[in-house]
Amino acid sequence: MKRMNVVLCVLLLLCVLLPIAAQGTKVSVGEVTLTMGSWRTDDVVQMNRLLAEYKKVAPNVTIKFQPTNPPDYNATLRLQLDSNTGPDLMYARSYAAGEELFKAGYFADCTDIPGLMQNFTASNLAPWQMDDGKMFAVPFAAVSHAVYYNKDIFRKEGLAIPQSWEDFLAVLRTLKSRGYTPLANGLADEWDILETFFLGMLPNFIGGADQRVRYESGELKLNDASFVAAYQAMADAAPYCPVGFESVTYNDSQVLFASQKAVMFVDGSWTAEVYKDAAFDWGLFAIPAPRGKKTAICFHPDMAITMNRATTHPDEARAFLAWLCTREGATMASENLPVGYFPMINFPITLTDVHANEFLALNSGKETDARFVWPALMDLYAPMNQAVIRVMKGQVTAKQAADSVAALF
Amino acid sequence: MQKKTNTLGSWLVYLLPALFIYTLFMAFPLIDSLRLSLYSGNVPQDRSFVGLGNFARLFGDERISVRYWGAFTNTWIFFIIHMVVQNGLGILFAVLLTAETMRGRHLYQTIIFIPTTFAVLVTGYLWKLMLNPVWSGDFFVSIGLPFLKYPWLGDTKTALPIVALVSCWQWMGIPTMMFVAALRNISIELLEASRLEGASGLQTFLHIKLPLIKPVVGIIGVLTFVNNFNAFDIVFAMENVNGAPEYSTDLIGTLFYRYGIAGQHPIGIPDAGLGAAIATITFFLLLLVVVPTLRSTQRGGGE
Repeated sequence: MKRMNVVLCVLLLLCVLLPIAAQGTKVSVGEVTLTMGSWRTDDVVQMNRLLAEYKKVAPNVTIKFQPTNPPDYNATLRLQLDSNTGPDLMYARSYAAGEELFKAGYFADCTDIPGLMQNFTASNLAPWQMDDGKMFAVPFAAVSHAVYYNKDIFRKEGLAIPQSWEDFLAVLRTLKSRGYTPLANGLADEWDILETFFLGMLPNFIGGADQRVRYESGELKLNDASFVAAYQAMADAAPYCPVGFESVTYNDSQVLFASQKAVMFVDGSWTAEVYKDAAFDWGLFAIPAPRGKKTAICFHPDMAITMNRATTHPDEARAFLAWLCTREGATMASENLPVGYFPMINFPITLTDVHANEFLALNSGKETDARFVWPALMDLYAPMNQAVIRVMKGQVTAKQAADSVAALF
Repeated sequence: MQKKTNTLGSWLVYLLPALFIYTLFMAFPLIDSLRLSLYSGNVPQDRSFVGLGNFARLFGDERISVRYWGAFTNTWIFFIIHMVVQNGLGILFAVLLTAETMRGRHLYQTIIFIPTTFAVLVTGYLWKLMLNPVWSGDFFVSIGLPFLKYPWLGDTKTALPIVALVSCWQWMGIPTMMFVAALRNISIELLEASRLEGASGLQTFLHIKLPLIKPVVGIIGVLTFVNNFNAFDIVFAMENVNGAPEYSTDLIGTLFYRYGIAGQHPIGIPDAGLGAAIATITFFLLLLVVVPTLRSTQRGGGE
């Protein structure tokens, strides 16, 4: 019995001591390991390339990229930060989501990072700027929204890129009458139909940033004719989505487009990489505006990188952020950015990917703006999402959908 | 010597580790979450006492209360479907499996129990694919059942019952096994006596078997109730944390996750106090139902 006790005691001691010993061996002198949190699980390869490049600049610093499942990122990051186990560097969401974490004291003040205030335009800084001008992150990349289309099928059916929303509906009608599923979009995951389709095309109906501000101030109503027309456009497009689109998820949509079961997919630029090895020729066109209005692009500031205020290696973390603000660092970053993410820094940077350039080319000569609700009306995200879904299912009219959102403002 | 080791003090030593772990990881968080429901703010530094403010907001703010009552109703529907389908089939299968004339009992037992051993995320995703007309529609048409080609999970009327039925399918094995164990404990003399008296199968079940397994029925009812009011994973796997479509599969569990832990996509600002308020109400609701149920079914059951 006594011997058992001794053995037990030794085992218990080992349990306590082993992890401590293991911790001790991890840290060797001069070497610093930083962790980076992110919601981009698809970008591990690219980010590791970028971080390897940084290792050449700062040989004693190793940065580990540790992404989490995109929909869970905000929640996970919060839990980590609350419990003081947050990463040293991390991706920061734009506008309210990021501001809130800065106010809570988790993000460091990045305003005086060398090069930050000089090398970005005011409008590119704004999404990560507090009202008092303080910056809480270094802008990293923007995303765009457009219609992906199967060029092979367009060629075979003798279709041209539609120049107006009415033309777009005509193309959808033609494709459906010839037995195709014209659009791959679905409703099951909810966020994608709002963010990529409705908010992606909204500038076509209501105009760019100068108009958005008038809605935010209440000068224009969220159920005016332009908004009703936008909801009506969603209702008009619904019959051309897959049969059973009510339960089609975002992944299903991607597969439908990639396997040529659907001809077009209204989606964000971040998906471009998915179709890299597609067995068919595909291209992009801007979601067209209705006749009499100018086509505009939803070009959305999406990712920024910031540092943890409580990091144990503040100098090394700052040095990395400063590197991203240099010409060298920004070029390296955009070369390693995944396809469909566009650098926001002022230096002229050429992208090599065909489709990335195709996306950027859509911007030329057009007005661009962030996604409508992001800058000031984030509370309307969920109600607008539900309104779009209801109008597409035919449960409410476009006017009722617009009224339901306007009533909450 | 022998007597000395059996005193209370020496037994207490063995209870201490379990008591310590239980207190640290179960009792303390539970009591702390009750306390948290009286505070606002997400981080310890800006937390402030608001009394019953979170509860007032939960029921007074129409935007929040409509979600709460929606989730509350859905959870009851979810629970009732489980009681009827999962536990009803559980009893039926158990009676069949314990019947003397039953052959291949082990095979059936295994088949019924296997889904229980799968991860909810796996079965959820598989069912989601099978119920998606885009992927399985052509198959249903080809086997002559075209009416099955339907967006079951995308329709507000069918989504909740379908999710509940998938959950029943997965967990049916547990009540079946517990009922089987309870039915096997009934002494053979009783059943023989009832047969000699000329009781039919149904009469034997209603008047002999059912009263004798009442404690197990009570336990299963309570377990189902507690599990359903904490359900989250199956909705997470088959729909999303918003309880799509249109909040029709929103349960107390997903509502709590949205308000208390994750925050509404895409801002993701959680409201810990409101979340704790939801959890507190659920806690008292569970107490209110569980304690009387256990009292009425466990008393005089065995002893």
